[in-house]
Amino acid sequence: MLSRTDAKAAGSNVPARRLTLTDFDLTLPALGLLVLFFVVPVAILLARSVSEPVPGLGNYAELLGSSTYLRIFANTFLVSGLVTFVSLLIGFPVAWALAVMPSRFASVVFAILLLSMWTNLLARTYAWMVLLQRTGVVNKLLIGLGLIDKPLPLVNNLTGVTIGMTYIMLPFIILPLYGVIRKIDPAILQAAALCGANRWQSLVRVLLPLAMPGMAAGALMVFVMSLGYFVTPALLGGTANMMLAELIAQFVQSLVNWGMGGAAALVLLVVTLALYAVQLRFFGTDRMGGR
Amino acid sequence: MLLNFDRLGWWKLVLIGITLLTAAFLLLPILFIAALSFGSSQWLIFPPPGWTLQWYRELFADPRWLESAWTSFQIAIIVTVLSVLLGLVTSFGLTRGRFLFRETLKALFLTPMILPVVVLAVALYAFFLQIGLNGTLTGFVISHLVLALPFSILSITSALEGFDKSIEDAAVLCGASPFEAKIRVTLPAISHGIFSAAIFSFLTSWDEVVVAIFMASPTLQTLPVKVWATLRQDLTPVVAAASTLLILLTVLLMVLVAVVRKGLKS
Repeated sequence: MLSRTDAKAAGSNVPARRLTLTDFDLTLPALGLLVLFFVVPVAILLARSVSEPVPGLGNYAELLGSSTYLRIFANTFLVSGLVTFVSLLIGFPVAWALAVMPSRFASVVFAILLLSMWTNLLARTYAWMVLLQRTGVVNKLLIGLGLIDKPLPLVNNLTGVTIGMTYIMLPFIILPLYGVIRKIDPAILQAAALCGANRWQSLVRVLLPLAMPGMAAGALMVFVMSLGYFVTPALLGGTANMMLAELIAQFVQSLVNWGMGGAAALVLLVVTLALYAVQLRFFGTDRMGGR
Repeated sequence: MLLNFDRLGWWKLVLIGITLLTAAFLLLPILFIAALSFGSSQWLIFPPPGWTLQWYRELFADPRWLESAWTSFQIAIIVTVLSVLLGLVTSFGLTRGRFLFRETLKALFLTPMILPVVVLAVALYAFFLQIGLNGTLTGFVISHLVLALPFSILSITSALEGFDKSIEDAAVLCGASPFEAKIRVTLPAISHGIFSAAIFSFLTSWDEVVVAIFMASPTLQTLPVKVWATLRQDLTPVVAAASTLLILLTVLLMVLVAVVRKGLKS
């Protein structure tokens, strides 16, 4: 709000103030942009979910009452869960190794993590489309090693999406986990050893519980990011295992059904916000975005 | 002892093994695409039967690839400039201000980062259909700016929070105007934050694909949309060539960041 010279101030012996900007005013341009091109469009979209084609909750009834759509919801959760589980399984030992390794090794691994994170998403997804195809390197390698006789279907199905998505999510779980493990005081583990704990006992009863908040926060973040992913599932998944983001796009682009598109978008938003609230409530605000 | 590298015993080998495998898993697909872009096989056979620059020639011979790259670049540059300027002004307000709901406002500014991009894409698409911004440069810039701004605000506020305001106050006491003090004292001191804001904003726009898929028109599309559209038809090695150039740009930006960081430290 602009604090203008007002009559009262001018009349008293308080020196008249110039037209000045307060700190709040500084945030107004960005706030305007955000309201006009983020809040309003999303609100209009959600409003259309209860007004088109007829007012009411018909779109939601159709969305939640059809086995086709329920299968897409189930698949979205299945893929996100699988990706989160595999990322955590691989990410924990890597983050742990990074936290204890000599810094020279660690910095090389960090450079690779960052390069991967920064490399264009489509370029990385394309790489997996080529690698996983029937005549691709992975199938050839498996046949060459004598593990399989004929090429496995690795792409356009759950396997393809899981591999491609895990590949993208790994840095997002390794980096925060590294931060958490880094902060654990090694003296606590020395104490455990002095008290007679062997490596397994120290791992299961000391290190894992201490890293648990970080693991839960990282896992939740990867899960939420996976739920809304569009590009990678669309390119590496098949028609049989569509995900929610793709369904929303399809409603809008091919079917021009704004009511159903808005309803599906609201479902995705509510789940995302609910999980985000859990994250805020239990693990604080540290997180990063993704697409 | 689990956090002491030298006392991990044979566990050390397991941890290093998993880390090396993961690093290879992350790195090899990127190198693989770069190698294939020079391979002579149209079917992306690896190892390729021979080496060729054919795919790069095809890439540069097709004006649509160049046009989309130029469109992407223009949009990313405009978004970067606007995102840094808006980010700067907003961050000053957020860091220095003592007003009600400051934290809520800050959280609101970061929401485009956490909400699924597809929701924003669909919502903006509907909105822009009504006000005639679909398929325009302005439409692209606005939508990418919404996505880039949180990264800019995050980088600059964290730099500002680490900056001791009394230095700026001292400059004012020495006779500088408050504005002059901000330009000549504070901005140089938080330049690393501004630099990160610029890099993040550029990459956010340059690599953005979901919103761009909806925003694109037959005459105006960004490079990622062109890659996406090509990939939906076939896996042609021309995409490998385009991807390799994108990877190269990433590497260059990373090197730039490393050099600037080093420069700022010394």
